[in-house]
Amino acid sequence: MSELLQIGAQRPKAPEPDSLELRFSPTAVEELEALKTHYPDLKSCVLPTLWIAQREYGGHLSPEAIAEVAHRLSRSYAEVEGVATFYSMYNTAHKPGRHLIEVCTCLSCHMCGAYRIVDHLEEKLGIKLGETTPDGVFSIHEVECLDACDRAPVLQVGDQYVGPVTPETVDELLERLRSNPDSTVVQLADAVVKVHLRDGKA
Amino acid sequence: MPETKLLFEHAHDPQFRTLDGYLAKGGYQGLKKALGMDRQAVIDQVKASGLRGRGGAGFPTWIKWNGIEKEKKNPHYLICNADEGEPGTFKDKQLMEQTPFLLIEGMTIAGYATQADAGYIYIRGEFVDAARSLRQAIDQAYVQGYLGKNILGSGYDLDLYIHMGAGSYECGEESALMSSLMGERGMPRLKFPHAPLPTVAGLWDKPTVINNVETYACAPFILDRGGEWYATLGASTKNSRGTKLFSVSGHVNKPGNYEIEFGTTLVELLDMAGGIKGGKLKACIPGGSSVPIMTAEQVEKAVIGYEELWDDYKTMVGSGGCMFFNEHTCIVSLIWRTAQFYAMESCGKCTPCREGTKWMLQILDRIVRGHGQKGDMDLLLDVTKQIDGRSFCGLGDAAAWPVAGAIRAFPEEFEHFIEHGRSMVQSEEAKAMAPRWAQPAFSH
Repeated sequence: MSELLQIGAQRPKAPEPDSLELRFSPTAVEELEALKTHYPDLKSCVLPTLWIAQREYGGHLSPEAIAEVAHRLSRSYAEVEGVATFYSMYNTAHKPGRHLIEVCTCLSCHMCGAYRIVDHLEEKLGIKLGETTPDGVFSIHEVECLDACDRAPVLQVGDQYVGPVTPETVDELLERLRSNPDSTVVQLADAVVKVHLRDGKA
Repeated sequence: MPETKLLFEHAHDPQFRTLDGYLAKGGYQGLKKALGMDRQAVIDQVKASGLRGRGGAGFPTWIKWNGIEKEKKNPHYLICNADEGEPGTFKDKQLMEQTPFLLIEGMTIAGYATQADAGYIYIRGEFVDAARSLRQAIDQAYVQGYLGKNILGSGYDLDLYIHMGAGSYECGEESALMSSLMGERGMPRLKFPHAPLPTVAGLWDKPTVINNVETYACAPFILDRGGEWYATLGASTKNSRGTKLFSVSGHVNKPGNYEIEFGTTLVELLDMAGGIKGGKLKACIPGGSSVPIMTAEQVEKAVIGYEELWDDYKTMVGSGGCMFFNEHTCIVSLIWRTAQFYAMESCGKCTPCREGTKWMLQILDRIVRGHGQKGDMDLLLDVTKQIDGRSFCGLGDAAAWPVAGAIRAFPEEFEHFIEHGRSMVQSEEAKAMAPRWAQPAFSH
């Protein structure tokens, strides 16, 4: 089978409409109502609502999460899934670990040693780029330019940029993150939702 | 010329991020003057200033503002393109974090001139700190009557909204940005002359002005001190006026943003950034990864200006993402990584870009793996010609230029890599930069 067909085969299935369970918290519903006043149509709320869903569903846009967004905005599942899978910051493919470490290896970072940081992370965590540690704590991804080239090589974890990093500072970062029980992936989604809203609240 | 600080004069003052601190430093004088003027007079000031778009294309700003219908029949919109994604660029991030009110005031001026009802600031999803700073500033502006209904008693109303992206370089392209804002995949739309300009039918098919963060941030100065005053900055160049923020990174001692007047030389910019680190200067990408690379020899004489860089070196000011590289940099490896960026970020809408970027990456990949074949350089150039000018939007062109430019500027490096299966640059430093699988190409 060609690689493309395999990717198609692995795509998660849409939940049956009857089995839809709405999981947005009252706060999330309030936030969504505030967002709706920002645009002349509902469709424009898709991106910010996907951010809300990513937070509400623990950092992962599962088929159920996408179905809820589609339901709340009166769009089709296929349309919302199509939008969600286009953007790299929506975690649609699989559930990331509690902490997602994104390593920039683009031009300036490449030339300032980002690949040694990749090696170090892979070795230290025993996983490859794109994978999650078995205990579900860490995921590492390679990302394109984070636009913080003055801090090359730079990483993003949650809503924070960290850089310039060395293998030593990466070790410290890993220790700090390991002892942080809160998901920085969820934190990032929450921060993104908040900046949309006046006074940081709905 | 030394650094000329206009936008960044108070950037490091934390008070400048608050409305009171901004007002204390003369903030909102530009808007006050604008609100007392006829709308056309505001646009005329911007015309006199010679301001050109700071996002990369350098399009005259006043033409966009002037293109909005004067007899208002529809809602009008304003968009700020803060989806800074060009590798090497990080100026808009600092502008939003440290001088948010310059952007807000600039957008309010543009909104007044074009009778906009609402403005959307489209910020890339990663820039949470920038968005937070802007959020705070917008909230303060609302409380004190600088946004919302009847701004400063003028009868003009404007609402500003923040809209976060979610990870897509393509959304920096204006029509793709509008698709994304309207809740779609970030893919570009047909452009003029095949479709109306955004100023006629943009966001939700209504007249829309879309400018870069830095462009808006220039407006308060133009309105406060006059377009003619602004045009005296950079007067030594052919047609570039004002100051420009350059994000300097790569092998320099003091990477960061530097604000320079047009007409400054690249060597002066390099000096501001503390000079080259870890060896001699080898190459420079002056305006973000999309623009063709320059050799050290070219850098020696280059003057920064839109026409100056294009006419003499066929490269561009672009977004101002200036990267300097030292002698241990393997150009082939650098261009391989650039090609990977565009292959990853191509939105997939049109064939030349979707396929072309992947083919360029595959060819460069085999060269870097030591399996380059005779004729690969011609093949690469051929692919760049199939993309350049044939893709649906500028991303394809932007992917083709750096590859073609590097082959033009450093042909011997490509020839050597293909012929010997190893990089021309053989040093421990070069090896230390390479991905693990490519390291054999850098060992003796």
